[in-house]
Amino acid sequence: MADRRLREAARWVALAAAVAVLVIFVVAQRQSADVSYGRSPSTSAGVTEGAAGELSDATVPSAEQMTAMINKTDVVRLPGSVARWDEDRVRAAMGAERMRILVAPPGLDKAERDRVRDVRDATIRVIGTEVTGGAYQATGDSLDDWRAEFAAGDVTNLLITLIAGLREQPPPADADGVRWREPAAAEVAAVAAQLRRTGLYTAPGATLTEVPGQNAFPGREPLYVAQPRQSSDAPLVRYGPALTRLFPGRPIVELHGDWIEYHGPDAGDFAEVAAAGFYAQFGDRLSRYAYPQANVLGAYLGRVTDVRYAGLFDRPLPYRPADPLRVALPVLPWLFVACVGVFFALSMRSLLRPLRRPRARREHGTPARLAGLTALAVEMSALTDSRSESALTRGITALTAARSALDDDLPETHVRSLLTDAEADLDQAARLLPYPGYRPADYLRERLA
Amino acid sequence: MRHVGGRRDRLPEWLIMEWWWTAGVAVLFGAGFAVAAAPRLRAAALDRRTAWSSARAAIATAAVSRDACPARVAEAEGLLTRAETIAAGRGGVAAARQAGELARQADRLWRAAVHG
Repeated sequence: MADRRLREAARWVALAAAVAVLVIFVVAQRQSADVSYGRSPSTSAGVTEGAAGELSDATVPSAEQMTAMINKTDVVRLPGSVARWDEDRVRAAMGAERMRILVAPPGLDKAERDRVRDVRDATIRVIGTEVTGGAYQATGDSLDDWRAEFAAGDVTNLLITLIAGLREQPPPADADGVRWREPAAAEVAAVAAQLRRTGLYTAPGATLTEVPGQNAFPGREPLYVAQPRQSSDAPLVRYGPALTRLFPGRPIVELHGDWIEYHGPDAGDFAEVAAAGFYAQFGDRLSRYAYPQANVLGAYLGRVTDVRYAGLFDRPLPYRPADPLRVALPVLPWLFVACVGVFFALSMRSLLRPLRRPRARREHGTPARLAGLTALAVEMSALTDSRSESALTRGITALTAARSALDDDLPETHVRSLLTDAEADLDQAARLLPYPGYRPADYLRERLA
Repeated sequence: MRHVGGRRDRLPEWLIMEWWWTAGVAVLFGAGFAVAAAPRLRAAALDRRTAWSSARAAIATAAVSRDACPARVAEAEGLLTRAETIAAGRGGVAAARQAGELARQADRLWRAAVHG
């Protein structure tokens, strides 16, 4: 009995455990929908005008003065302007049309830019390297475009594209006007010596004095080479490959003005993605403003951090402590199935158990009584006459019903009531017999004694 | 974009399939209902068999009384016929009780006819 109670308790415990596991699992589903693996630790890239030092000291004359200047000569370069272009190609693109170009320095505030735009006589306005004219603005959309624009201030392709747009002609093919040269051994040695000391080399004219604190290359010590924007036609010096050979395994970030290149480990995996994403998003602002190199570099490193965190190139994610719930989650289905199995087994057991029992519990008195009454009926059947035979037959009928009820495991009370009916009928028959001793009560007492 | 991390991604498909949970819940409910319902069904079946056992006994007794009766009792025969019809159609406890009651009435009528 105690065993049975224990099993019943185990059955309920299994059910409760299964329900609890199910609830935990469902709740964990909601949690996992909230979990983000891409929450990058880079600082926000939001900017407001002037907050990031993008406004320069440069200023522009009044609109009337500029109008007077542009009417005197076709190309007006205001002091501080950085944009330059291939004059022959631009003139060829203009064809016979006369177009006036007003070039303003980068880093103007909104009022100054409005003044530049108020010069109606200028066909094309170049503010920094932002090229606008008529209803159009020409912007680069490839790494080559951006490299020319930000490393060298070369807006030739942009101007030609804009002029073609103004003349409603198809734009000619771009030509890469940026020229590079490998550094001489002495130059590399000087840069490498500086890098070994501080990790940062700032060429004369570059504005990068301190590297912004960004954890873009965890576990590695990056090197930074900052050079100014190439304003003359001198080729750009490409330090990256030489330094990569000199410092294998270290990330090398090379700046030319606003243009940033990455050399070193995993360069093929992410450098283009990071640069394309960065200049596609910020190229517009970089062309108009004069950001310090440190701010440009900070934003770039933030983008690199984002890309790395998104898993675009193979670096291990920074360590995150394991969530015990998420670690335990895979065992829940097994636990659930086990609980269901236990509950099912115990339920089946309690379902099948009663089928085996009733026969064993049967009392012995009833079959003996049935046997005694049957024997009495057999004896009486030889003695009955026409008066008593119907009662005897009724008694035998009731005895037959009692026997089949006994065989069918019907309840004890039912069998006993059938036997009582049979006994009453036999008693009635016995009273009609001329011989004593056949009354069932006497007969059974005699037999069973 | 490639996926990063995600413990679920590393589990085999069949392990996290909702199928397991659905089947498990179905088994839980099924076993629970079965355990709750089985004794009732069993008791009901026993009641039905018991009731039919009494009804058949009553009908057999009434048939004996009819054979023992020298005269025909039309009313009793009608009652017994109805009882046998109900018994032939099978049915539940109520049908069995009705059949048994009809048979007992017929039996009483025949016995009264013999003594009367």
